[in-house]
Amino acid sequence: MIWGLISAMAILSSAILLGQLARKSNASVSPQNAVLSVLNDQLLEVQRDTARGLISEKEAHAADQEIKRRILALGRQNVTISSGNFGNIAIVIAAVFVPLLAVTYYNFAGEPDIASVAFADRKEELAEQRRSEDLTGRLADQLQNDPDGGTLEGWMLLGQTYIRMGRSADAAISFENASEKDGADSVVFSMLAEALIFAEQGVVTSQAERAIDTAVLLNPTNPAASYYKALALSQNGKDIEAHNTLLARLNSATDFAPWMETFVTRANVIAESIDREAISLVDFAPIMNASTPGPTAEDVQAAGEMSEEDRNDFIKSMVARLADRLQDEPDDLDGWMRLGNAYRVLNESENAISAYSKAEALLLNMPSTDPQRAEVDNALENLKGSK
Amino acid sequence: MIPELGHFALALALSLALVQSILPIVGAGKNDLRLMQSASATAYGQVVFVGLAFAALMNAFVTSDFTVLNVASNSNSLKPMIYKVAATWGSHEGSLLLWVFILTLFGASVSLFGSNLPATLKARTLSVQAWISVGFLSFMLFTSNPFDRVFPPPLDGSDLNPLLQDIGLAMHPPLLYFGYVGFSIVFSFAAAALIEGRVDAAWARWVRPWTLAAWISLTAGIGLGSWWAYYELGWGGWWFWDPVENVSFMPWLLGTALLHSAIVTEKRDAFKSWTVLLAILTFSLSLLGTFIVRSGLLTSVHAFAVDPERGVYILGLLAVSIGGSLGLYAWRAPTMEGGGLFKPISREAGLLVNNLILGAATGTVLFGTLYPLFLEAVTSDKVSVGPQFFNAAFIPMMLPLVLAMGMGPLLSWKRADLFGVLQRLKFAALLSLIASLIVWYLSERGPVLAYVSLLLAFWLMFATLREWALRIRLFETDMPTAIRRARNLPRSSYGMTIAHLGVAIVMLGMIGSSVWKSEEIAFVEPGTVLSISDFKVTFEGVERTRGPNYFADRGALRVERDGEYVTTLYPERRTYPVAQTTTTESAIRSTPAGDLYASITEPASEIAEDAGAWTLRILYEPLIGFIWLGSIMLCFGGLLSLSDRRLRVGAPKKSESRHAQAQAAE
Repeated sequence: MIWGLISAMAILSSAILLGQLARKSNASVSPQNAVLSVLNDQLLEVQRDTARGLISEKEAHAADQEIKRRILALGRQNVTISSGNFGNIAIVIAAVFVPLLAVTYYNFAGEPDIASVAFADRKEELAEQRRSEDLTGRLADQLQNDPDGGTLEGWMLLGQTYIRMGRSADAAISFENASEKDGADSVVFSMLAEALIFAEQGVVTSQAERAIDTAVLLNPTNPAASYYKALALSQNGKDIEAHNTLLARLNSATDFAPWMETFVTRANVIAESIDREAISLVDFAPIMNASTPGPTAEDVQAAGEMSEEDRNDFIKSMVARLADRLQDEPDDLDGWMRLGNAYRVLNESENAISAYSKAEALLLNMPSTDPQRAEVDNALENLKGSK
Repeated sequence: MIPELGHFALALALSLALVQSILPIVGAGKNDLRLMQSASATAYGQVVFVGLAFAALMNAFVTSDFTVLNVASNSNSLKPMIYKVAATWGSHEGSLLLWVFILTLFGASVSLFGSNLPATLKARTLSVQAWISVGFLSFMLFTSNPFDRVFPPPLDGSDLNPLLQDIGLAMHPPLLYFGYVGFSIVFSFAAAALIEGRVDAAWARWVRPWTLAAWISLTAGIGLGSWWAYYELGWGGWWFWDPVENVSFMPWLLGTALLHSAIVTEKRDAFKSWTVLLAILTFSLSLLGTFIVRSGLLTSVHAFAVDPERGVYILGLLAVSIGGSLGLYAWRAPTMEGGGLFKPISREAGLLVNNLILGAATGTVLFGTLYPLFLEAVTSDKVSVGPQFFNAAFIPMMLPLVLAMGMGPLLSWKRADLFGVLQRLKFAALLSLIASLIVWYLSERGPVLAYVSLLLAFWLMFATLREWALRIRLFETDMPTAIRRARNLPRSSYGMTIAHLGVAIVMLGMIGSSVWKSEEIAFVEPGTVLSISDFKVTFEGVERTRGPNYFADRGALRVERDGEYVTTLYPERRTYPVAQTTTTESAIRSTPAGDLYASITEPASEIAEDAGAWTLRILYEPLIGFIWLGSIMLCFGGLLSLSDRRLRVGAPKKSESRHAQAQAAE
């Protein structure tokens, strides 16, 4: 419909010009005639004013003389006015040019696909928004009025909700409360750092830096902590260190995870300013060891070129393959942990919990200092906490 | 969809403007009637499409369509409907659209009412008008598109600057723009006349009404702006010599000069080249006014569009239009024939004095306004040129003008008798002296300049009335004749009388409110009593109230005089949570004698806040209402004159002595 109306407007603009061709040219006013008619009007006016007694005979006479002098000075010369073919052709060209230029411009600058949305038509969206605000408010009240100061999980949930609502400053306060609870892990601190950075429009403040450092200390493998550490370094002018931090974390990755894309992009942005070679996701493709069936380097490269939707499908199919394989090989601890992580990334927390639980069961035989135990415990705690 | 149609309509309008900027002027050169007449069609087409775009934008604001970026950043669903409508031109992009809309409206009315204009003049005028259109439309589409979209839309918009959510300011930009754009028509006529190489009676007849219409709007716009500043900004002043005020005042000053020189061109066929130059300069200053505010070069409360990236485009447009037109003037003006001659003492000479003083005053304001910019550009020092400079430089310059203003209307065309004029004004002089002495006796304070100004204001008032009395022969003849003559007097002559009286009234208001102003600022707690002028003001406390998109702390002030209750004033401090701004709503008790003005602001410290203390400002400003009464008289006088479509010719009066000699010789 919009193109129909646009066409109608374009045709109207042509018609306005083409209408000129149909118009019978009426006698034009030459400069002399125009002045003459003004002067004649003035003569008549002087007579009127005299009749009304507004000006004296003497004044009227003087005015009359003045006007007549000007009429004489005017002289008479007539200009021939033509209406040749040149004009007609020019108008036809213009009638084509006008809509053509406008449509060309609009094609380039217009956004015909965006519908207009009146505020009155957005009741549902607003009701949804209000409901979620209401729930959030209740949760916040509950946490604030809790004599024990609220639970870690509660504050984390509230903070994550605020992040989704775009209220970064409020989220930062929630995460800060969470970080003061016992059992606050690296993830809590990295989320606190993230919220602080969002609230300051991307600037890493000293408070955010402290949170980042704590997050790194608690778990050096937490990708978010490494990422923000790199950001902080970069903002402090230490681009080389920032780049090294990103590369180190990428190199230590044992598995493909979506965060790696962000790391690669970021690393390449920094690389430009410090004259380092650009890196590619393929270099760090995780499931490259031949022993584990998984995406090949080509698959990962293909994933990089896919649209987001295709990529999600691709990752899902990859995860499904892994899950199928684990049904046959239930003793593969690494496999279960990778699967749990994959589900967590895909926000399928139920599945993630069951995968991690399988891993947890296998880990019972391992020594209690095994870092994988801590990793699984952490993951399960987070998943249950955010449910 | 509707915003997209608006966007496309703007593109069509730009295309039509491009065509109109070429075809008619080529047609005028080739004497091709069809091409010349195409100007009318494209002028109508432009007004249709820009009107559509304007309606589309207004629709987006009225329905709060936040997919339009401009709406999302300048409106809010909670805002009262009238300010949603006004928000259409509240933003940078919207105000440009309004500007172009008015421009095309004026262009269309030139082709509608200009049927008796010489065809070549009309064609050339409309082409020049289209050049301005092209400049503005392309500036809008390429740097400030009002129809930029955002998807997904934000849930609600981030309100318009609350200072601007006010009826006075909602009407201020349209009036100002009508003024600025009205001068663009005069400019187009001037440029067309230069291209044509002739300024004749038909030209002159057209220029004055357009100038007058533009001048009325600009006067109303400036008056309204100062009124808004007075009651909204909360410090009781009405003019701050702020650069943004100055850039609207300069076209007004020069426009006033143009108005008077156009009279000479119309009536006496003289001052042609001068009128053309004034027309060019007045519009150049209007452009400067529009763009200097829009570019954010000046940062003040008015400059709500601060975007240096547009600066280059703006500078280019200014250079092309001002430089181009002045170049054209330098090239073509010498070829134009001169007009009627006049003696040093004559109405023409009087108007020349008016023009020179107004021109010099404009130069002074221009210097004071731009000097800080140049200084900052060259030395990167920041200075501000404040009221001290303007009051010292501008006011003494304008006082001789007031003196001349009293006499000018009594001078006759071509040659006049100064002695006779002074004879007739002696009563006016005497009356002004007595009136000033009375005021001096009543107050016995205030600086010398104030009394000189006062004397001149009274002089202007009485001289103007005397001139009117002379015209209708009041006291010289019987009453019925005088009344009949008064009724027969042309409206344009009443227009002048009322406008000149308006200037006198404005002056009285300015002098009264600045010289005899009294002011009290204090931290107050409930129960505090302040006295100002004859009033006793008791602060009764503050309560929290709610508005549609704000909440307010409203103070209550009980006002008494001589122990009698007079009124209660309710100044407010409003907080707009969405826009995160606060505004002052002052409370004013207005009487013809003066205004009692009160505003409150937040307590100065937290300790004071706990004690319930507020900062209260009370002013008593005598005669201040006269400023706006006088401004209304100026506009009304202009309207009266504009409604008088008579064509008048100014013929010299033969002096009495010469006449007697001539009779003796017969």
